[in-house]
Amino acid sequence: MKGHEDKHMTEHDDREIRDPLKQSIPPVNTELRRDLWPDVLRKLDARQVGVPWYDWALVGSSAAVFLAFPRLVLLFAYHL
Amino acid sequence: MDLLQRFAHGEIDAFETLVRQFQGDIYAWTVRIVRDPAVAEDLTVETLWRVYRARHRFRPDGNFGAWARRIATNLAIDHLRRNRPEQSFLAEPAEAARPDPVVQREIHEKIQQAFRRLPAKLQVAATLALIEELPYDEIASALGTSVGAVKLRVFRAVRILRKRLSHAGVSPE
Repeated sequence: MKGHEDKHMTEHDDREIRDPLKQSIPPVNTELRRDLWPDVLRKLDARQVGVPWYDWALVGSSAAVFLAFPRLVLLFAYHL
Repeated sequence: MDLLQRFAHGEIDAFETLVRQFQGDIYAWTVRIVRDPAVAEDLTVETLWRVYRARHRFRPDGNFGAWARRIATNLAIDHLRRNRPEQSFLAEPAEAARPDPVVQREIHEKIQQAFRRLPAKLQVAATLALIEELPYDEIASALGTSVGAVKLRVFRAVRILRKRLSHAGVSPE
């Protein structure tokens, strides 16, 4: 019974606040005014300039090898 | 291979087709939440960029529109969080409601201000449920939560609004 009363009161409260809210917050036009694909493409191009993951993987694995076998650094430097 | 599978494999042509198909829906959803066309356009572009970045996580048998809408909702909530009005709510009591346009405008401003200062998640739920009058299950799906949780957020938003407006001497009736 109490649940029913609470529900009734909640719906009443919602109605009471809904009308002033709708009067105070004007409706918006939901129509998209232009095609956004060019912007999306620009954003994709701009963010793809970063270093690819496999370059980072190469750097990481090289560092691990040099840490494990420090003498390889000399061999590597000799061949440079 | 169908369009969604091609998108999940990173084909840009498939993504372009999806953008043209869904950009209007994503924009319409976002502008309902943020109430600003320029901001909604920016957020729609950001949503679509994130959709492309997250394409590996998309299941081609899933609902692309619902997935994109959820990403858009999260971005809109972040935007509202970052752009909450800083000034405190006017505590001085308003005069008794009269059909005076100046007083009416002041009341509308106080209601708007109180609404914009709601916590972002409550504001979004209240906007979609009370102002846009969208079905609760649609709101719940976009927020990634249950219908009960949405109702609770709306209830809490209404309670906070009533309290703040009553402090300011504004009667919502």
